[in-house]
Amino acid sequence: QDSTTWRVQSHWPSSSSSYEDSLVRIKNVIEERTDGRVKLKLYPAGALFKAQQTFDAVKRGTIQMGTIAPAYAQNQMSLAGIASGLPFAFRNVWEVAYFHKNLGFEDMLREEAAEEGIYWSTDKVYPTEMVVDRPIESMEDFEGLKIRSSGALQTFLTEAGASASYIPGGELYTALSSGVVDGAHWGAAQGAASMSLYEVAKYHVKPALNIAGTDVFIINQKALDKLSPEDAKTVKDALNEQFWVRTNEYLYKEQLALAGAMEKDGVKITELPPEVQKKLTEVAQASWEEQGERSDKAAEALDKVKKMLTRLGYLDSDA
Amino acid sequence: MRVFTGFINGITRLNDWIGRAVALLIFVMFAVLLLGVLYRYALDAPRVWTTELTQFVFGFYAVMSGGYVMAHRGHVNVDLLYSALPLRARAVLDVLTSSLFFLFMVTLLYYGGIIAWESVDSMETSYSAWNPPVWPFKIAIPVAAFLLLMQGIAKLVEDIAIAVGAIDGPLDAPADADKEEAA
Amino acid sequence: MSIELTTLLFFGALLFFLVLGLPLTFVLGGVSVVFLYFTWGIDSFYLVASQIWGTMESFTLVAIPLFVFMAMILERTGVAKSLYRMMYLWWGGTRGGLAIGTVFICAVFAAMCGISGAAVVAMGTIALPSMLERGYDKHMALGAINIGGGLGILIPPSIIMILYSLITGVSVGQMFAAGILPGILLVVLVAIYVLVRCYFQPHLAPALPPEERGDWPEKFRALGAVLLPILIVVMVLGSIMAGVTTPTEAAAMGVLGALISAAVYRKFTWTLIKEASLRTFSLTGMIMWILFAAHAFSAAYQSMDAQAMIEGWMQAIPGGPWGTIIAMQVILFLMAMVLDPVGIMLITLPVFMPIVEALGFDPIWFGILFVINMEIGYMTPPFGFNLFYLKGVVPSSITMQDIYRSVLPYVLVGIVGLAIIMIFPQIATWLPDLVF
Ligand code: NA
Ligand code: NA
Repeated sequence: QDSTTWRVQSHWPSSSSSYEDSLVRIKNVIEERTDGRVKLKLYPAGALFKAQQTFDAVKRGTIQMGTIAPAYAQNQMSLAGIASGLPFAFRNVWEVAYFHKNLGFEDMLREEAAEEGIYWSTDKVYPTEMVVDRPIESMEDFEGLKIRSSGALQTFLTEAGASASYIPGGELYTALSSGVVDGAHWGAAQGAASMSLYEVAKYHVKPALNIAGTDVFIINQKALDKLSPEDAKTVKDALNEQFWVRTNEYLYKEQLALAGAMEKDGVKITELPPEVQKKLTEVAQASWEEQGERSDKAAEALDKVKKMLTRLGYLDSDA
Repeated sequence: MRVFTGFINGITRLNDWIGRAVALLIFVMFAVLLLGVLYRYALDAPRVWTTELTQFVFGFYAVMSGGYVMAHRGHVNVDLLYSALPLRARAVLDVLTSSLFFLFMVTLLYYGGIIAWESVDSMETSYSAWNPPVWPFKIAIPVAAFLLLMQGIAKLVEDIAIAVGAIDGPLDAPADADKEEAA
Repeated sequence: MSIELTTLLFFGALLFFLVLGLPLTFVLGGVSVVFLYFTWGIDSFYLVASQIWGTMESFTLVAIPLFVFMAMILERTGVAKSLYRMMYLWWGGTRGGLAIGTVFICAVFAAMCGISGAAVVAMGTIALPSMLERGYDKHMALGAINIGGGLGILIPPSIIMILYSLITGVSVGQMFAAGILPGILLVVLVAIYVLVRCYFQPHLAPALPPEERGDWPEKFRALGAVLLPILIVVMVLGSIMAGVTTPTEAAAMGVLGALISAAVYRKFTWTLIKEASLRTFSLTGMIMWILFAAHAFSAAYQSMDAQAMIEGWMQAIPGGPWGTIIAMQVILFLMAMVLDPVGIMLITLPVFMPIVEALGFDPIWFGILFVINMEIGYMTPPFGFNLFYLKGVVPSSITMQDIYRSVLPYVLVGIVGLAIIMIFPQIATWLPDLVF
């Protein structure tokens, strides 16, 4: 019996919980449900391609499948910015899940990815949260922070008054422990724990900087089309199911990781003071507009976000 | 014969000249890094561009060195067997092994070209807070591969000339700091 | 074709073309292309170019040109020469004193720099001529630089340790702490080896004749030579520890210190700076093109399902827990002869770590064994990065054969160190347990 093997480049290192829980899970599910007709050969982060090049590699068909963060598709997809997460927009993970799956954002992403010959399927939704080495009790505290950040959040934090600079992942721990920076975000609790950040930064900051579908599966459309219609459907269904399974499981594991950090490293949760939250919200809302300007589709998606936030009562209807 | 030596010397001089210019970028990396530290530590106002600029300048500097290093015979090899052989035998050997060199360089030229072209085509930027264009740095890959390839062709021509006995030995590499070092 | 056979052909081809004298970077790049053609087809060549771009984007490598530049300035201004003259005056009576001093300076360098490579090139430029001038045996001198140059990944900060932590999930801080004593142990072992060897064979590292050892006033005047190097160490290490800079940025502080030294020595001329920058460009280019191709080579090898082979081997190993650990070391040692540490990590650790933990061994301790093994790998023929970097700076009278031969005793010293830490895990685990 004929079987197809897909090469899958991950952006997770093999120790990341998502490598086992997301990638190995989907491999097992797909292989079992297609009776072994579709096999996945997994490669951990960086083995074949750097994360930033995985989108191109899948698009070209050098590999058939990959996992990425939407940020790595910024140049090819105008919706990638919104998919990476608008700062201080949604407040709960379930809201973003609803936005993706019930309000059609996932379909919009798929449509745009299809233009690049790629099938897009979000793995899960989760928050991005900061860890800092001191409590933040006032606006002065916040403005005095040097934060390691990247991408859109770097601009956002800087505009809100903190000093956000970029430091490569390989130097983050050293920088945080010596005081080159006072805080950083690397995913949320599980991410921070994987980088040993809690050893040197004891305060976990709430609320989240953003909540988004930050992990994504991408498949080369031609590779998908080569499968029998039933097998292709099985793969797509498995990915859809994965979204719900993993989003919920990840939330659970976030809490476990945070509880573990509090227990083991003496980490405390610090809630940003209202004045800081107010300032961050103002700056955030101005920054959203830039994302909307990237294309008609992006404008449409931003409009959807705003409507939903208004209905939820987070946004004044005139905003 | 003069055409050949002219060609070889011309390529070598081109790579030497480009190398001498690119080598100065070390000062840019040094200065920008220090400036970054100054902004972040002394002025408490980190600039978004310092780390990224250093990184891109470094990538450019590193990849563009290929032709210069080859022109100065600085790519290191194992000389176990090599040092025991007479000049002409070495030249013959180099002609044979150069096939691997050309495979590597043609691959880099072509696929580096694709990477660069895709980047230019979409006017790729880095999407960091600074968000600079990335394509000028990606173009450096095929350009560097081309310069190395030309230097490799020059070496091939020279090796063939030595192998058939048209010239007695390698033409001199341009005088530079390397030579003074070895002296 | 089985992965075992492919592996044999892959590394066989590497060895074959290396021996024929093609430069390492072209061998690695060319062999990658050929093998990708036979495994994945022409489309996969994209991977080679893509790895080059990935390497161009590695910020932490910026430390290489900066530290090399620092060394080139120090060498040209005479700072390095004065330093070695001072060491010779004070240590002249001790046979092998300069070699031990060199390894000590390497250890200080290692504390300033998170990667290997820069130190080898720097010390090859600074230390080698000083030792050869004073009649040191070239193998003794070359080997000391080779083993010292690899200390950068064992003595914190260390990028390899951070990667190890990321892949295995252990604490970075504990890894850093765990590396300190083993780093010192290796320095001590090298010192013992040099002293014992030179005691029996004085001609390898001659002592300074008593009449040339200088009187006390001269010795103290010579001490001034350490001031500027110490200033540089303070600037680099101080700015890392005080939280002023990251380790990579600290390399720029090193350059600043070197420029200040040049000014103090009244050698701050455009000619000197230009020459130093050109030489830096050559050496960085040599290193970076090896890395470009090595990363492509590693990716090409991983594409061939190398991990499955390791998995297969691990299931076939007899001898209980310790047999397994020793077998792992042997596999790492063999792989380190032909692959770069990051590639080895990605291939082996996902297979090794679950086994190590299931057998009840401390992953921090195993990490130190891993790093020492990689350090040894930097200097094992045929393809150890340090060997080639060193070849790039030595005078043409020194051949690759000399360099290959020079490392043998030092590889044994490294293996002894590895064994000691296997037998006495406390050397690695005591400090992290104390601190955390
Ligand atoms: Na180090
Ligand atoms: Na090696």
